[in-house]
Amino acid sequence: MDSFLPVLESAFSPGNLAWILFGVTLGYLVGALPGLGKGTATAVAIPLTFYLSPLAAIAFLVGIAKGSTAGSAVSAILLNTPGEPSSTPTAMAGYPLARAGKAQKALKMGLFASVIGDLFSTIVLILVAQELAEYALGIGPVELTGILAFSMVFIAGLSGRSMIKGLIAGLFGILVSCVGLEVETGSPRLTFGMIEVYDGLPLIPVAIGMLALSEMMIQIGQRQRLQEEADLLRGSGKREDRIVTLGDWRRSARAILRGCLIGTGVGILPGLGASVGSFLSYGAERKASGRGADFEETGAIEGVAAAESADNAVVPASFVPLFAIGIPGSVIAAILIGAFTIQGITPGPLLFLENRDLILGVYMSMIAASLFLLLIGYFGQNVFARIVRISPALVMPIVVFLCCLGAYLQGGGAFGIGVMVVFGVIGFFAKKYDFSFVTFLIGFVIGPSFELSLRQTLGLVTDVSELLDHPVALAFAALAVFGVWRLTVLQRRQREAIVGD
Amino acid sequence: MPKSDLIAGIVLLVFGLAMLAVVIPTQTSEGGDATISPALLPQICSVGITGLAVLLTLRATGRLRRGIAAGVAVPAAEWWAMLAVVLAVGGAIALFVWVSPAVAAVLLIVGPMLYMGERRIWLLAGVPAVLLVGAWLLFYRVLGTAIV
Repeated sequence: MDSFLPVLESAFSPGNLAWILFGVTLGYLVGALPGLGKGTATAVAIPLTFYLSPLAAIAFLVGIAKGSTAGSAVSAILLNTPGEPSSTPTAMAGYPLARAGKAQKALKMGLFASVIGDLFSTIVLILVAQELAEYALGIGPVELTGILAFSMVFIAGLSGRSMIKGLIAGLFGILVSCVGLEVETGSPRLTFGMIEVYDGLPLIPVAIGMLALSEMMIQIGQRQRLQEEADLLRGSGKREDRIVTLGDWRRSARAILRGCLIGTGVGILPGLGASVGSFLSYGAERKASGRGADFEETGAIEGVAAAESADNAVVPASFVPLFAIGIPGSVIAAILIGAFTIQGITPGPLLFLENRDLILGVYMSMIAASLFLLLIGYFGQNVFARIVRISPALVMPIVVFLCCLGAYLQGGGAFGIGVMVVFGVIGFFAKKYDFSFVTFLIGFVIGPSFELSLRQTLGLVTDVSELLDHPVALAFAALAVFGVWRLTVLQRRQREAIVGD
Repeated sequence: MPKSDLIAGIVLLVFGLAMLAVVIPTQTSEGGDATISPALLPQICSVGITGLAVLLTLRATGRLRRGIAAGVAVPAAEWWAMLAVVLAVGGAIALFVWVSPAVAAVLLIVGPMLYMGERRIWLLAGVPAVLLVGAWLLFYRVLGTAIV
């Protein structure tokens, strides 16, 4: 208990709470803006964390991730423009409610469901991650190679519509991670004589380019549509639109509970992402309600609750593989690895031994962020509803400026901005042509760990028969092969169904 | 009919072959006494990309032969937007190196604003001013560091 008190003090210190509050507010604000999602919000906020303590830095970024996930419901409900794909079901069920003059009701239910989903998932993270990490400590390099290979295949297959393109993106990410001094010999590799890349390509400019700058390129190209949607927005003054009644709660309770379970389960599995969680939860509620297409025609408060609870439950749950094994299961987790690295901390099973106080502080900060989310979302709802009307011609240039600032600070000056632009263009092509940028980023982040464990494996296992001594590794390798086959079949069926339609 | 998958497949095939034939041999050392060559992982990735690019090309060719779209078409407005952002950031880097950071930042903000149709002078002047002062206050005063 004595060792716990200092952690409590640092987690709930005014400074740390202020950063969490700032993060949640900033995230909510960015999430509420059409076209901007949690990836962009977190990536452009990285430079603010360079000079913070590790706890404040991580808590701030987690606050942004949570805030922007919940905030994206605002533009989804009011403008029918989801801040990110995972809010699409929210728009489907919530926008008709807004058109019917029930925008405030939908926004409030979306917020309550978001907070419940987020808090539920945070508690699961706290209960599960350390247990998993203790098991992960017994994992050797051979097993780790199998787990990483399986994770990459899994993420490649699920984060896009094509397994082939997903695998290409993942391999390209690992290839790009090879740039720099080679780990065993220290000789330069794929550097083209540039000493700036001897330490490897900097993660933050690469992430900002792939996530935020590429998104700005696309959004600026769609400026006319965004402007028209912002112009169409009209407020509602009816009192009943601002109330979530007991009947609404009765209708939504089951949807929220199911959403929490689905979102948490989906979040723990690397690569599935928030979109899968929110669509699964929405689909399950739509089916259970028996209302069918009526859900999208007249709107459904329980549809909003189902989608938002699952969407927000995915974020904390996606930290389980990050904290326990060191594998980033989502874009936010990949960016958090960058933040941990900046602070000199390596995520993984040793985190609970070497940085126990930090991780406890992060847990408490996450709970505090959930509560701030409720306060900010509830009392700032009218403000955020107005923010969605801001012209994209003002928002996009500001985000481009912030992207450059972040890349400059973390990427060694103008060189970092250059790296960001190159990966911004690559990200643009990846997004437009469905080469999963998520898989690329995760490949880029786990590349060095994969190479190290692969080298150790090749040193340890000199004969194929010796692999029989590593059943866990064999099981994951088999799962990877099975995953390639199964996911390819599923994707082919989906394409054939689309062509058939 | 969109054939972006076919083009992507061919580009990736050329990329993979170029990596295997030219880039990796010239940009990676033998490794000396190292137990495993430093080129191993880049080679694995390049072989994988090349093989998958062949599959992507074959699949796209098959779809096009059957009269099915192989990929998507990107609207011209998005290509122009990409070019505009690259030019704005590239121009800002040049101004940063040869003129001054402040001028570079102004171009970076005002360029995209103009491209997106903003013509109100007070906003074109005010937004860069607020952002630059805000960044200066945050990084110099609050966080206590130097950007330049």
